[in-house]
Amino acid sequence: MSTILIVDDDPRFRAQARDVLAMDGFVVIGEAVDGASGVEAAQALQPDFVLLDIGLPDIEGFEVARSLAVNGPPPWVVLTSSRDARAYGRRLANGDFLGFIPKERISGSAIRALVGHP
Amino acid sequence: MLSILSTRHSPATFTWIRVLLVITAGALGLGMLVENVQHRQLDPVAVLEALVGWSFVACGVFIWARRRDNRLGPLMTIVGIVWMLGQTMPLVADPIMFTAGSWLSDLWAAWFALFLLSFPSGRLTSRTDLAIVGVYVFVTVPLEFLWLLFWVPGNGLNALAIAPDVNAAHVIDTVQRAVIAFGGVLLVIALGRRWLRSSGPVRRQMAPVLAGAITILLQSAAWILVPFGIAIDPLHDLMLVAQIAIPIGVLIVILRARMARSGIADLVVELGQTPTPARLRDALANALGDPSLQVAYWAPSQDRFVDAAGEPMLLPEDGTSQAVTMLERGGVPEAAIIHDAILLEDPGLIASVASAMRLAVENDRLTSEVEAQLQEVRASRARIVEAGDLERRRVERDLHDGAQQRLVSLSLELRVARNALGDRGDPAVRRSLDRAADEALAALSELRDLALGIHPLILTESGLGEAIESLADRTSVDVSVDVGPERYSPAVEGAAYFVISEALANVTKYAKATKATVRVRDLADRVTIEVSDDGIGGADPQVGSGLRGLADRLAVLDGTISVVSPVGGGTTISAQIPTVQPTTPSVPALYAVPISDDTMEA
Repeated sequence: MSTILIVDDDPRFRAQARDVLAMDGFVVIGEAVDGASGVEAAQALQPDFVLLDIGLPDIEGFEVARSLAVNGPPPWVVLTSSRDARAYGRRLANGDFLGFIPKERISGSAIRALVGHP
Repeated sequence: MLSILSTRHSPATFTWIRVLLVITAGALGLGMLVENVQHRQLDPVAVLEALVGWSFVACGVFIWARRRDNRLGPLMTIVGIVWMLGQTMPLVADPIMFTAGSWLSDLWAAWFALFLLSFPSGRLTSRTDLAIVGVYVFVTVPLEFLWLLFWVPGNGLNALAIAPDVNAAHVIDTVQRAVIAFGGVLLVIALGRRWLRSSGPVRRQMAPVLAGAITILLQSAAWILVPFGIAIDPLHDLMLVAQIAIPIGVLIVILRARMARSGIADLVVELGQTPTPARLRDALANALGDPSLQVAYWAPSQDRFVDAAGEPMLLPEDGTSQAVTMLERGGVPEAAIIHDAILLEDPGLIASVASAMRLAVENDRLTSEVEAQLQEVRASRARIVEAGDLERRRVERDLHDGAQQRLVSLSLELRVARNALGDRGDPAVRRSLDRAADEALAALSELRDLALGIHPLILTESGLGEAIESLADRTSVDVSVDVGPERYSPAVEGAAYFVISEALANVTKYAKATKATVRVRDLADRVTIEVSDDGIGGADPQVGSGLRGLADRLAVLDGTISVVSPVGGGTTISAQIPTVQPTTPSVPALYAVPISDDTMEA
């Protein structure tokens, strides 16, 4: 069972993502509402995955992903947004993250597909 | 006597008066010469004496005809006539004529003094001057009359000699000489003081008057010396020559003032080139022949006059050696020319200069107004475009924060419901849930397309290059993108993006092209954009509002766009956008300082 941390300022999305991922066999071990608390939570909880919203109120998701990569063994970061990939262009091509999934397509299988095993 | 100068008389009357005076002067002069020839040999002195009269009358009449508002002409004519009467009448062998002539013989000196002191207006301006003329009149009229009562001339023709007394006559004569010499000294001092107080051009104008002062000195010296038996003939001759020259000198001064008007043409030319305040002042000073001239500008905001540098300026008061010619518009002062008061003697000249400058001021004011309005229009157009861009961003954000989030939420919720149902429940409900989830995804996709069209977030987040790459990915034809990573101002990036996006939209819609190229070059001061395709060409830039809208948008940034689209030869759209925004156009320097206040309010 993979553990996951959800970092998003929208409580409705966090609740729904928690439901969807739990259904797909993920253990949601924490939630954070912004980049700073997300980094703290990740260090404290050491999740396997972090579901990270790009449009956070304090720090952009790309930046948070970079911080997570610097401190300790990096979790697999999955970026998400209610905008689709076209809004971010090449910034999604590579970085300190596993990949990008638009919010409506978040699911356990989508995340596992990014890792490369079902 | 000066009542003949009244303007009540018609110009024709004056013309006749002048003709009569010229004839009289001619006759009197000839009379002097004829008498001279009859009595003695023709004496050069007599010729000089006749020339003095002719010179005064000729020049006086000429000035009188040209400058009717100036008493100088008539005054000079009177000096000449009285001079000649005083010279000729005593020559007539008739007691009445001889006596009247003797009485008149020195009266010219009083008119001469009046003429010198009233130069250049022909009017006395101070009580001192009046008093000096009074001294001359006192000596030449009542004292002369008193002297005639006692005087015994050699020819015995004195009709007034009721108490002939050589000694009494001699005493009176001595008093006369002393007083008139005293008056002469006062006159020379008065003229000298006036000369010292004057500025350059006025000093030059006063040259003939100074010559007059010298004759007065010579005359005074002669009057003092003669009773002592000292007669200096060269002194007398010199005085006569000076007296001939004086009217000619005055005439030249007056003519030069008229010629100065040709300087108006130069002034108008200079003003037409919107000179700097310094050059304007020089041009005015040249046209008016007054190096001391200054220009003051009315500053409505400060409610006072200022100089070209904006420093407050005080205008000279009335009665000083400087005068002010005001330039007004609708009763409100705009500028003031501060010049030598002597220039008021040629009202035509100063009026011409003032109206030339008034035109220039008006022209400049209109130019500044149009310039200010143009700048305002440009600024407001830029603000409108900027406001439009901000509004697009706001709408995109609102879509993202609102409908987009809700559709995301709806999609996830439907998926949760569908998963919860699993294989259980009514198959129709399961299908319905699947369709609802697909609909939600489709709605979300359309909404994202809409948001992207309204404002591409990637443009502001990642710049033109990424935005164009993203745009190219979404275009159905194959687009090769050659755009650097440079960032520009949001306005420039926005305009460039919309040019390229509109061009690529046209490629897709009309060009029937297989591939297109987008090239953006970053030059030192501008960015050039080129979008070309291998389509059918023949695009008409006049058709459709898309390109017109792009041209308008680029114009805000002083950018340009052009389309080359030969039939069958593909289409190339080229645009240039300056990346260094031009500084605000300079307001013409001439009246910028003081007048900009109210033009900006207008």
